[in-house]
Amino acid sequence: MTTYVTSTVRFPYKRSLGPVIGHFMTELTHQRLVGIRSGERVIVPPLEWDPDTAQALAPDFVEVGPAGTVRSWTWVAQPSAQHPLDRPFAFALIELDGASTALLHAVDAGDIAAMATGMRVAPRWRAERVGHLTDIEAFVPGEQPVAPAGDTGPAAEPVTMMNYDASITYTTPVPATQQLVLRAAAEGRLTGLRCPTCGRVYSGAYTGLQNACPVCALPLGTEHAVDLPETGTITNYTIITPVQYPGQTETEPFARVHVLLDDVDSVMAYQPVVDLPNADVRPGVRVRAVWTTGEEGRQELAGWTPTGEPDLDDPSIVNRIF
Amino acid sequence: MTQPAARQPVAIVGWARTPMLRRTDKTEAHLLFDVVTGATEDAGITRADVDFSCAGSCDYVAGQAFSFVQNIDAVGAWPPKRDSHVEMDGAWALYEAWVRLQLGDIDVAIAMGSGRSSTADPATIYPMEMDPYYLAPLGADALTFAALQARVLLDAGLVTERQLAEVAARTRGDARTNPYAQVSGEYDVDALLEEEYVRAPLRRHDLAPITDGAAAVVIARGDRARELTDHPVWITGFAHSAEAHQPGVRDLRTSASARRAAKAAGADTAPIEVAELQTAFTHEEPLLAAALGLGPEVALNPSGGPLAANPVMATGLIRVIEAAQQIRDHGTQRALAHATSGPCLQQNLVAVLEGDR
Repeated sequence: MTTYVTSTVRFPYKRSLGPVIGHFMTELTHQRLVGIRSGERVIVPPLEWDPDTAQALAPDFVEVGPAGTVRSWTWVAQPSAQHPLDRPFAFALIELDGASTALLHAVDAGDIAAMATGMRVAPRWRAERVGHLTDIEAFVPGEQPVAPAGDTGPAAEPVTMMNYDASITYTTPVPATQQLVLRAAAEGRLTGLRCPTCGRVYSGAYTGLQNACPVCALPLGTEHAVDLPETGTITNYTIITPVQYPGQTETEPFARVHVLLDDVDSVMAYQPVVDLPNADVRPGVRVRAVWTTGEEGRQELAGWTPTGEPDLDDPSIVNRIF
Repeated sequence: MTQPAARQPVAIVGWARTPMLRRTDKTEAHLLFDVVTGATEDAGITRADVDFSCAGSCDYVAGQAFSFVQNIDAVGAWPPKRDSHVEMDGAWALYEAWVRLQLGDIDVAIAMGSGRSSTADPATIYPMEMDPYYLAPLGADALTFAALQARVLLDAGLVTERQLAEVAARTRGDARTNPYAQVSGEYDVDALLEEEYVRAPLRRHDLAPITDGAAAVVIARGDRARELTDHPVWITGFAHSAEAHQPGVRDLRTSASARRAAKAAGADTAPIEVAELQTAFTHEEPLLAAALGLGPEVALNPSGGPLAANPVMATGLIRVIEAAQQIRDHGTQRALAHATSGPCLQQNLVAVLEGDR
């Protein structure tokens, strides 16, 4: 029985808009739609370069619309979380009056029967506009733009940035070897995998996810599991000065070390240290695992603390990556 | 477009695919272990004989940054070998491997494509790869773009909904003999046309399934290819071309970039018998056949094509495998493989494959 883990990854992008897209977005806050001239054509939404010749376009903006003609459309019966409307709507390629190209946007038509190629649509503006494509909530059938009550007015300054905050929810299988490594850790044991071909032993931190011998290009399974020693040597380290990004809980500079366990062939990467000041962290320090007891006796690897043995005298140890 | 003065002859000498499944519990790296082992065995070599590897995969599909780094374990990273990656379908990985062999200093390369589309709702992944200003903020997914292009073709009178259903019925019928098909069977066109739209004007039968899978292809240069096999499949033309990203600035009735790629690959210099096209939607078959200059005498997607199995990031590379299989195993002399990427067929790749005469 495969175990799956579900996780949601957010992508909170902030994007700079540049002189052309920035102008388009700024104009949206004024409830105006603009294109850019390229020879005989007016390109909407405006691009910085001609799509056919790749020539940079002069900032020759032309007001278009606000109404336009639907050149193609599709009915979205079941909107996704990322779609602009949460009820059935149409996506349409809309050629705004005065434009030579089509803009993709939503049409809030209520019913598929209201949609037709060639129909006329106009924007329904949001009351609060920030300089984003969704300042147009959707287009609606007809010639007249819809302006909302409680309009907060145009942007005071030209819009130069936009937010794009998407998220994707992933469901991925957890390899059996990783489950084994995690179960052993909860009992206070370190586990790894031994390659039956070359005999190399890989720490679970590496092979739990990878479950393969990278040297022999051989998949490994739980039948290759072996218990690992709890002593090893720091091979490399970094001192991290935390910056406050989402999820960062550290406030003071802290160490992360690679630990090569005795008689093991891959390091435990990015490990915390216990009772080892940043100034004393260095390759060669002999360390042992420190466990803490959590809920219901569950063991957790807190980090690595010096054993007091003399340093391992092997300058080449720093050359390892994993 | 000028051809290189002295092109190295390069042949396909081995390949492998995983089973095509709605959801696999294998990691992407393990899918690649299977196909790298399979393709090298098919070519009669080991991983140690491979001089260059190139993989096609997508972090947004995998749900993991730098996911391709883990996949390298499958290739055989020791002793170190030249390796590359494209955030594109494996067909473009094959293109890079082919270009690499043109340098003439190495003999054998492997190209891979892998994807587990079961990781998340594809409708939420696809917008991440679109224009971040004008397309992604609307959540415009693959189905949206396909449906918009399908309606353009319908409105222009270039296809009918019945013809689209006929493409679905024919390809799924052909797929019954393909052991790698995920969707196959006998379908009645009238019954298909009774079904509800999923995304009008497209019905369920117009769409490809969601598939987990991977594929790998081994290519070798000239003499080395002849040494490895009595049935090399020569890549006699290989080109790709892209057009503007925004679908709203393009003529969606045709594909200018597909036409350019076919011309550059020399597809029109002799008859094509079989074509495997990356048509994830039914309407793309008549559109591409016209753009690529493929007449009614050409057998289109006899494997069932992507409508039978669509492992995103490997679907295009599998077109090459299916076309090569037609030559090696079914006596076809000249075949065309096509791959595509981007909204409304924005970028297109064409490989012309030929058997030894």
